[in-house]
Amino acid sequence: MYDPIAEGLTRGWRHIDASTLTTDQTFDTDVVIIGTGAGGGIAAELLTQAGFKVLMLEHGALYSSSDFRQQERWAYPQLYQDGAGRKTKDQAISILQGRTVGGSTTVNWTTSIRTPANTLKYWEQQFGLDFASSGALEPFLDLATGRLNISEWALTPNHNNGALQRGCQALGWQYTVIHRNVKGCANTGYCGMGCPLNAKQSMLVTTIPVALDGGATLISRVSARELVWRGNQIQELWAVPVDAQFQTDPRLKIRIRARHYVLAGGAINSPALLLRSKVPDPSGRLGKHTYLHPSVISGALFAEAVNGHQGAPQSIYSDQFVWPEAAQAGFKLEVPPLHPVLMASKLTGMAEAHADLMRQFNHLQVMIALLRDGFHPEAQGGAVQLDSDGEPQLDYPLTDYLWDGVRRAYLAMAELQFAAGAAAVLPVHDDAQMYRSWSQAKAAIAELPLQRYRATLASAHVMGGCNMSADPATGVVDSFGRHQQLKNLTVCDGSILPSSLGANPQLTIYALSWRICTELIKKLSV
Amino acid sequence: MQRRQFIMLGLGAGVGLSLGLTLYPVLQSSTQQRSDAATLVLDALLPALLQGALPAEAAAQQAALRRSRDAVLQFLPFLPRRQQAELQQLFLLLQQRLGQLALLGHWLSLNEMPLQSRLQLLSSWRDSYLDTLQQAYHGLRELLYGAYYGQPQHWPALKYQPLEFNPYV
Repeated sequence: MYDPIAEGLTRGWRHIDASTLTTDQTFDTDVVIIGTGAGGGIAAELLTQAGFKVLMLEHGALYSSSDFRQQERWAYPQLYQDGAGRKTKDQAISILQGRTVGGSTTVNWTTSIRTPANTLKYWEQQFGLDFASSGALEPFLDLATGRLNISEWALTPNHNNGALQRGCQALGWQYTVIHRNVKGCANTGYCGMGCPLNAKQSMLVTTIPVALDGGATLISRVSARELVWRGNQIQELWAVPVDAQFQTDPRLKIRIRARHYVLAGGAINSPALLLRSKVPDPSGRLGKHTYLHPSVISGALFAEAVNGHQGAPQSIYSDQFVWPEAAQAGFKLEVPPLHPVLMASKLTGMAEAHADLMRQFNHLQVMIALLRDGFHPEAQGGAVQLDSDGEPQLDYPLTDYLWDGVRRAYLAMAELQFAAGAAAVLPVHDDAQMYRSWSQAKAAIAELPLQRYRATLASAHVMGGCNMSADPATGVVDSFGRHQQLKNLTVCDGSILPSSLGANPQLTIYALSWRICTELIKKLSV
Repeated sequence: MQRRQFIMLGLGAGVGLSLGLTLYPVLQSSTQQRSDAATLVLDALLPALLQGALPAEAAAQQAALRRSRDAVLQFLPFLPRRQQAELQQLFLLLQQRLGQLALLGHWLSLNEMPLQSRLQLLSSWRDSYLDTLQQAYHGLRELLYGAYYGQPQHWPALKYQPLEFNPYV
């Protein structure tokens, strides 16, 4: 099977696996890009094509379609941050983030949604970012849409998504057919373990190969530890290799001197590098206001087989409840792909009860409700902190405002699942049971104690921590990702978002990064 | 409250309070001690958590338990060092506390504790007022179930039949 990464390496791509290095190294380059996900990938292609000498750094490994195994026991430790075991500091919310070349774009579920107009309006009101009134982001959303072949999914949704669609139709609720960044997708359902067919138009198979063909260098299995700065300039970056389990291995030092530094490590790791580097933070917002779209889960049993592991993982969403008129936490309704490890670890119960549920695996339909955080005084997100190893952990408070959203989300999902024909619904909460009717579920959900650990919560979208703002007093970077204090530092990843989006973030990050790098190229070309 | 319930609650609370205080046991322990403690605790908890899921035949059951325990041990090094230390501390404290109970004559060893008592221990953590115990319950539960259901040998009961483009070896 065609493997663009293997072929590129054969053609002579410059790739260094830092774990194989045996002596200290020094690199000089025009631009170093820290992170190869949605932001770093776009930056690598544009900057290389503009003629700059580019060096890409990635904590994870360079894997390709020939390496991807369609098993969670391989994919989670090899492709995800902390083996897919990343959690908030209090361990109340699981966080799925990619950690491999291509970042989360290598393992995401391909959902591509333009930045919601309401979100842009909020940014304009609160942070003076004029995307809503100027339309300045629109051309870049169009460019990314074209570059990554984003289009409406034309095939019939799988049964997991089909239930969401059917429930919306029965209740008269809004729903949308999802746009996906795929080309030649065989509708198999393994997006979360790395696309085995190179159909997903991730950074791994699009922009990064173009950058490498253009002469860029990629160092994988390397951890950026500290930016050394003086005055308003970064002078160099210190990094170390990582070991086979992706733990930092400080047996040697890698020094990188660049004319410009592009930070694209994601909304937890980017702020962590800046915190380790003790960069100026006059706004006090560095590593703060980190958003998660905390997600609530509801399972349902159907008489017919659902087989939620087969087919495009996400092809339908509902925005019926994302923008409520009342001052309540809105939530987006989607479904996740269903594979055994993800399901077994998230479903509640133990022993016989858990085993009984797992035996009905192929008849389980599962929905998630993604809470839109960041738009209310009681949803101001979390804070990235450093542990004694200098590694990040996210302290994320769950407020009454969010818990109210959790209860309404459980109710909406149960109502929808029964409307779609479910025989029983199980809100994924330690005190919930399998409910056989909507009225029974409604009464029970109203009484569920809403507190951390009882409700299973997860996140696949981390946003904020280096937020954009027109005013340096309320942001870490400006609308072009330029750090407000360090003049040769640009941030372009999910960390620059001033709130959550109320939508899956990859397309917004592509577009913002495209705009940021277009401006950066102008500056560096002078 | 029954005497056994009281013991289980005391065991849970003791572990929970110790977890909140110090990493002393981890710092003082050898690699071998940590590995032994992890193996002991996993071997005790897996058969309880997996009741109803394990194959009935004895040899197949032992193989499934061994696979799951090995999968947990192989996965642990991918967690942040901070989380690894917390888990090692939990394993060591559980081993020590259970050793004390054995000395008092309640059980000769953890493996002699009835499966229901082991589940009762986990339930007491889940329902504890201590965050550390609730975290221990959820953390262990996710690890152990993830390890068991990550193995293809355990999928026939689920009728899960994934495609395989690249064989896992």
